[in-house]
Amino acid sequence: MNRATGGTARRMKNKDEDTVANTESVIIHIPEKPPFLPHLQPTVKVHAAVIEPKDANTLVRKLNQIAPLENLRHVKRVQKKCIDGGKLQLCLLLSMAVENDGEVDAMPYEILELVKSYQLSTFITKVCKYAATSKEEWDEQCKLWPTSYHPPTYNISGITGFTEEESQSVLSFMRHAIDLSTSCVGQVVNAAVIVDPSTKQVIASASDWVISSASPANKVSKEGSCSDYPENLNSSNLENQQTSLLDSSIGEFEHVICNVGCLHPWRWAVQSLSPSSGCWHPLRHAAIVAIEHSSARDRQLFPDYKLNGEDSIKEECTLSPSKRQKITDSDFQSNDHSSESVRPYLCTGCDIYLAWEPCAMCAMALVHQRVRRIFFSFPNSNAGALGSVHRLQGERSLNHHYAVFRVVLPEEVLRNKVVDAKTDGYG
Amino acid sequence: MASYEEHTLEFMKLALEQAKDALANLEVPVGCVIVEDGEVVASGRNRTNETSNATRHAEMEAIDFLVEQWQKNGLSPLEVSERFSKCILYVTCEPCIMCAAALSYLGIKEAYYGCANDKFGGCGSILSLHTSCSELPTSGFASSKKGFKCTAGIMASEAVYLLRSFYEQGNPNAPKPHRPIKQRV
Repeated sequence: MNRATGGTARRMKNKDEDTVANTESVIIHIPEKPPFLPHLQPTVKVHAAVIEPKDANTLVRKLNQIAPLENLRHVKRVQKKCIDGGKLQLCLLLSMAVENDGEVDAMPYEILELVKSYQLSTFITKVCKYAATSKEEWDEQCKLWPTSYHPPTYNISGITGFTEEESQSVLSFMRHAIDLSTSCVGQVVNAAVIVDPSTKQVIASASDWVISSASPANKVSKEGSCSDYPENLNSSNLENQQTSLLDSSIGEFEHVICNVGCLHPWRWAVQSLSPSSGCWHPLRHAAIVAIEHSSARDRQLFPDYKLNGEDSIKEECTLSPSKRQKITDSDFQSNDHSSESVRPYLCTGCDIYLAWEPCAMCAMALVHQRVRRIFFSFPNSNAGALGSVHRLQGERSLNHHYAVFRVVLPEEVLRNKVVDAKTDGYG
Repeated sequence: MASYEEHTLEFMKLALEQAKDALANLEVPVGCVIVEDGEVVASGRNRTNETSNATRHAEMEAIDFLVEQWQKNGLSPLEVSERFSKCILYVTCEPCIMCAAALSYLGIKEAYYGCANDKFGGCGSILSLHTSCSELPTSGFASSKKGFKCTAGIMASEAVYLLRSFYEQGNPNAPKPHRPIKQRV
């Protein structure tokens, strides 16, 4: 076990998802879809048929009703092809081809009816599974079957890299989150720290409340106490936990992390404890609790806030927490404490640090709460919704999109490997 | 449209009442009831604006009420899980991805919903978290992935009507209203 490198190198690098150095801290952007070479994009099989151009409109309308392309919104219904003699041929995508044990299932009944009444001869072809994220990908996709392409319209700070100062701040908050996740003796839970990056202030922090034996280390930061920035975090606690984690066998380790809410969200019912111990809740994952704390803080800081939005909220605002609404990069520099203070719209502009990749419930909660960036340390191949099992940052239909980063800290590398080995075992 | 048993419609009407209560309080009008052994044991409606917490959906309100209630009665986690496995949810709009995941974690028996949620739906529209099979095989861990039966389209037009009224009046809490807020007289 080579732990000698741990805790020494602090140099930060921004790298692609596939390269992770062992001795340096790394912040890895986790894009909206798994990275693929343009010509190696995953495809799915679909049923299609050549149709008469005069029938195209009617057929497309009927199909959109009986078989909308729910998971293939980027794929066009009709493919136009020039065949010999300059003649135009139209192919129509009928439906996804569901495969079972390598055999393609029959089309749904309604589509079969359509096929029969228009006397279509169907065939199986392939389309790209995910929407293109670059012009190069799109060009490749259209060689198979036409798709639509929407270039990204946002640029969340960090996707294109972090400055040294930003990196140090990210690292520091991630340590804070991991400290929280290991603050209960003998077990590890998930932990969440919500941060306003414009002031580097912790807005709220929480660890899982799913099981009762974990004494919750939860806190709403008081207004004005900017000392929350964990500049001098004492990592001895972490080191101790680490040592005990690494010294224990894999079996024990499995036991230690089996209480991480987002890792085993279906497991809450089998916790062995006396019912009198109280203070447990199947859904109180760290991120959910932290969101609750941050909204409680907002309500406390802006008590006169009226839902109608018309009434003045000027008084009581001498405390002046930072204006978090509609933060842009340029706002970061000019964030003087103006007297004009409004209740922030949820967690707009805020970042959240999580020890483990969040599950679908937590990841969607963070969409609802309008979090700007998510940083996590350990991937969650069991139930992770930011790249492992689902990838919510790539669901284009959602009304808000955050940027997602994985932060690998050097001293976690070993433990990380144990975690990966363990969770991969279930994959 | 298939005809549903009368009690299904009755329970959905109660969920719609909850949604109307939300609308009257300037909240996104979604409401629900949870039924155990033919009896309503919890109800809830959106409270996202009131709480400044966008996760306070109708389902979460009802679930939290039940967990608190059952805990007060001294039920163990296993007993709470057994109770949830007998529960049926009636909700006016398809549960979002967050709520659908939560319902799966709790292991509820069944869900009936009104209109589909084509932006955030977690029971078929965007993700299908109610189906127990997923791309990854489930773990062999003690308590594994749970699915629940889901039926869509119960009194959907009533649910849509309420949502439409809300968005026509404008969400006063949205950061930059997509639609102008009508002055209420």
